[in-house]
Amino acid sequence: MGTRKKHRNVGVIGVGQTKHSSHREDVNQPEMVHEAVREALDDAGITLNDVDCIVHGNMELFEMIHQPDLWHALGTGAPGKSAFRLTTGGTTGATLFCAADNLVASGMYDVVMAIGFEKLQEGHTTGGITNMADPLWFRSLQTGALTGTCAYDVIQEFGEERAKKAAMIYRIIMDQHACLNPKAHRAFGLEFDQMDHLIRSSARLIGELKIIDMCSQSDGACAVILACEEKAKRAAQKPVWVRDHITVHREETFNILGYDQATEEEKTHKVAARELFKRNGITNPLEYFDVFEMYDPSSWWGLDWLRDFFQLEGDEHLRLVEDREISRTGKMPINPSGGVIASNPIGATALVRPAEAALQVRGNAGPHQIPRPVNHALASGFGGTMWTVLMMLEKELDWQEA
Amino acid sequence: MSRRVAICAVAQIRNEPDIWERRFQGMLLDCLEPILEGTGVTFDMDKGIRNVLTCSDDVFDARTISDNGMTDVVGAHYRGEEKIAQDALNGLGYAMACILSGHDDLILYMGHCKESQPESRNMCTNLAYDPFFCRPLGLDFLNVNALQARAYMAASGVTEAHLARVVARARAHAARNPFARENPRVTEEEVAASPLLADPLRELHVYPVTDWAFGMLLCCQERAHEFTDNPVWITGFGNSMDRYFVGDLDLTANLALKKAAERAYRMAGIRDPRAELDVVEINDACAHQLPMTAEGLGLVEAGRAGAWIQEGGPDRQHVNLSGGMLNGNPIMLGGAARAVEAVLQLRGEAGERQVPGARKALAHGSTGGAGQHQTVVILEK
Amino acid sequence: MSEKFGVKVEEIFDTMQERFRPEGAQGVDASFGYDITGRGKWRLTVKDGAMTIARAEDLGDCVVVTRADPDTFVGVNIGKVDGTEAFTTGKISVEGDMGALGKTFKLFKRFTPPKKEPTVREYILDMFGTLTARFQPQAAGDSKLVICYDIGGKDGGRWTAVIEHGTCTLSEGLASSPSLTLAMKAKDWVDLMLGRVDALTLLSTARAKLEGDMQLAMRLGELFAKYTPPGQEAVQDEELLVLKKVVSVGQKFATGPVMGKFLNGLKEKKIYANRCPVCKRLQLPPREVCAVCRVRVEEFVEVGPKGNVRLLDTAYYASPDPLTGETRETPYAMAYILLDGCKGQEAFAHFIRNDQLDRIEMGWNEKKGTIVRPVWAEERKGKVTDIRYFEIDE
Repeated sequence: MGTRKKHRNVGVIGVGQTKHSSHREDVNQPEMVHEAVREALDDAGITLNDVDCIVHGNMELFEMIHQPDLWHALGTGAPGKSAFRLTTGGTTGATLFCAADNLVASGMYDVVMAIGFEKLQEGHTTGGITNMADPLWFRSLQTGALTGTCAYDVIQEFGEERAKKAAMIYRIIMDQHACLNPKAHRAFGLEFDQMDHLIRSSARLIGELKIIDMCSQSDGACAVILACEEKAKRAAQKPVWVRDHITVHREETFNILGYDQATEEEKTHKVAARELFKRNGITNPLEYFDVFEMYDPSSWWGLDWLRDFFQLEGDEHLRLVEDREISRTGKMPINPSGGVIASNPIGATALVRPAEAALQVRGNAGPHQIPRPVNHALASGFGGTMWTVLMMLEKELDWQEA
Repeated sequence: MSRRVAICAVAQIRNEPDIWERRFQGMLLDCLEPILEGTGVTFDMDKGIRNVLTCSDDVFDARTISDNGMTDVVGAHYRGEEKIAQDALNGLGYAMACILSGHDDLILYMGHCKESQPESRNMCTNLAYDPFFCRPLGLDFLNVNALQARAYMAASGVTEAHLARVVARARAHAARNPFARENPRVTEEEVAASPLLADPLRELHVYPVTDWAFGMLLCCQERAHEFTDNPVWITGFGNSMDRYFVGDLDLTANLALKKAAERAYRMAGIRDPRAELDVVEINDACAHQLPMTAEGLGLVEAGRAGAWIQEGGPDRQHVNLSGGMLNGNPIMLGGAARAVEAVLQLRGEAGERQVPGARKALAHGSTGGAGQHQTVVILEK
Repeated sequence: MSEKFGVKVEEIFDTMQERFRPEGAQGVDASFGYDITGRGKWRLTVKDGAMTIARAEDLGDCVVVTRADPDTFVGVNIGKVDGTEAFTTGKISVEGDMGALGKTFKLFKRFTPPKKEPTVREYILDMFGTLTARFQPQAAGDSKLVICYDIGGKDGGRWTAVIEHGTCTLSEGLASSPSLTLAMKAKDWVDLMLGRVDALTLLSTARAKLEGDMQLAMRLGELFAKYTPPGQEAVQDEELLVLKKVVSVGQKFATGPVMGKFLNGLKEKKIYANRCPVCKRLQLPPREVCAVCRVRVEEFVEVGPKGNVRLLDTAYYASPDPLTGETRETPYAMAYILLDGCKGQEAFAHFIRNDQLDRIEMGWNEKKGTIVRPVWAEERKGKVTDIRYFEIDE
């Protein structure tokens, strides 16, 4: 928070998602968005009449639609309502969630629906991402979102065999989670006994980043409805409270992050975690949180970032993975939804993270529900030149004393 | 907690036809430095700017995540940054929410756009239309605005002669605005004779291609005094979306505008806009939008806008003394230009254009063909 | 055998009893004859709400006899051939009481061919047997393409397709220098061709392997028409309309004075960074501000031209360059290089000469990586590609 308290409490009252897929030729964009909107409204037990404001976002250069919120008015229900559009690349969905929270908390709107979507099959994903690079010097060099630098860093620090094995364990656990999530795009049914074979044989994309490690390109939409405390408490399901959020960006260039330990630069993940937890009085995030829906575009990044997010040291994050504590039934469940590797409709992906986290807190996420009470949830968004958005959700309002 | 947010500082570069000698980063830096100098604000994590809002468009920048290249320049390294992807005036509403929610004390808000970069503005706005039906028909914001102009002129009695006066007036006022695009003065005859772009809109009825950038510092009421002695308060905000298919719209009903205005007026406690507003800045991308928006805002009765123009109504009510969007601001930033002018007026810094004793102003912004999305902001001293 | 629809004439008659509708037989008491060219004659007798069907030599006692060739007969019975049109064009001829024939239309439920799944082996043979027929010459271009199919398992086999001069020939065995090799088990190949699994799933889970020209692999769907199993029509029941369009808007990017100095420097084979007045770090390429200190940067410093490689990112999958539309030849590598005069994070990103990738050693902490030097383009235009790539400094 700033130097002042949050003006009023905000709860998640409805969540809707399409089944993420690489074949949504059966719907056009507004139709696809509407599927998620319809599901969120039904989940909240409200109608469009009850929604004051729509917040919409995606990465428009993928589908090459200028100002898509205008066309999508056909499916979002925005006509006649207040409407905002925010876009921040890969973090868009998370920004939409934070924006909706700000808009409701401010008192300006009571019920706000955040809508993120992407129809990657309608464009060229890697080309679209490469367009992120400055046209004067980096665009002819960039390889989309693909880089082997993280794998290289982890291998340098922990040795090839251990690093590759840990990354693959992470990957398999994510896939096992995806197999339980009816909305997930890619669920291969991987088993641990395939580990060596996959490490040896899955084709390499760049460096040691293999095709099995990398997130999918999905078409999908997600809608999340947030409401002020008074209306949230009257909603169909128990609201999940938004406690706090932080956005941390960094400069435009992709500096090397970690290769040269002598001049290591702090990742935004580390800064976000430090600031957010400090101002909320959380000293042991690994103990505090019951679930983390992390934006993990590849298994290497997912593995690596656990250390920064949970403020761990040395190889503690590797051991968390090696001991399978990140599974749904483990000590620190990561991505019970299957995460971003399973489904990545980019404009929606970072919104799906807090959405799935909210479902877990609520206790009715579906077959992939964590089988223990989930009181404190963490969700992250990622994009741009290694930007982070970090969000905290709570089951009860009891974190606010004084 | 207070319900008002302060604008502590505004900065802008001059609107130009083609800023070939600076890229976006240079343009924004020229706006940021005066803000930092003028307010003494820092980026300290505890006491300074922790969150930056930007406004830009991926299609016009030809750059995915168009805010990506701006992070460094707006000071967002290891700070928050969120991008508004619609008319920049909406950023004031969102910044207001960030501050009133308690999440941030300060918001730095910066925007840029270079219409001179893409080979065709119309090719870009054609991409706003669905690929199956509207786009192949050749709809773009210009054509759709022209359809609206024709419908409006038929319904309201506003004539070509009225439009010519609007344009000539805009150029005359812009000549007194050091930040306005430098355009030649035009006579009403020249306007009426300018080539037809899309009937009934002629070349001089439509805003020219422009490059620009701006910056603002917004702050919670409790701390505004740390950064300025001369705050301007945002007391009202409203925006609204209209339907998409041009055929579904009542092109002359100003539905979205009326909703946006109603929300803003209600928040600001304005009952009689005509009497209460000292300064009005309307985002007129095309000449007919000046009278049309004035009607929608309740500044003039429906059907009387033509007479209003004839009888010098816009001058009397201090409408678009900046020259308006019609003189030249880039797409996406028009609404911000309106707000910047309103702030200067309320601070008493509007030079030759100054309305003496101005205390309450309205800034208007719009997005999309026929203004599918509308925004209204009320600012007060 | 009516190959056209995958259904035997005999199956129509053999299933009449199970398809019989007694309610349609009310008031019907007669024999109906069927004479199918080259196949024989059948008599259908309906009486008291029951029926019998049997082959017959003589259809003299039938109230009406229908004559048709096997394809037409089967086609009409499974709803793929319009009966009226067949009759009008003489493909079906009727002798006797036409009105009586009308009564037979309500006697049976429509025949639906049972799903007889070919075996994996049958599919494989048919898929490769039809490969050259499915070749799309207009998609082939000028170069010779050699594609090897290494289909494993007892149902598999090895084939090589050679595309040259607008024709495609298939032979058994694997060629020695193919443009592309696809390897997977027979069942996976069948499932892939039938659309039951997608290529990305097979590649991700290492059930399939591709070696060679990846761009060619991505074009296989254009080079060969989609496989349709025998007996199925090639046309889908419901076609989804998809609109394809390439959007292109020309751009004029400004460089500004800072990037401008850097790009102009390249014309003179000079590499400029700029130095922050507060923290003194160098930025390469130079930028208007130092993001960390949030101050304008004015001082330029020439660096390099040689440097040591800190990080090499080798790409095996190439994406098209959005500025040119071309796709790079893989493998290629982008390197982060610390040019002389730079330290820490002040690395410069560029390409390494393709044929030297395996000889590059990356630096780590104090250890220096391979020393490299820029190779300049003959004609330099003030673009980052004025440096073609970096090569080992030997």
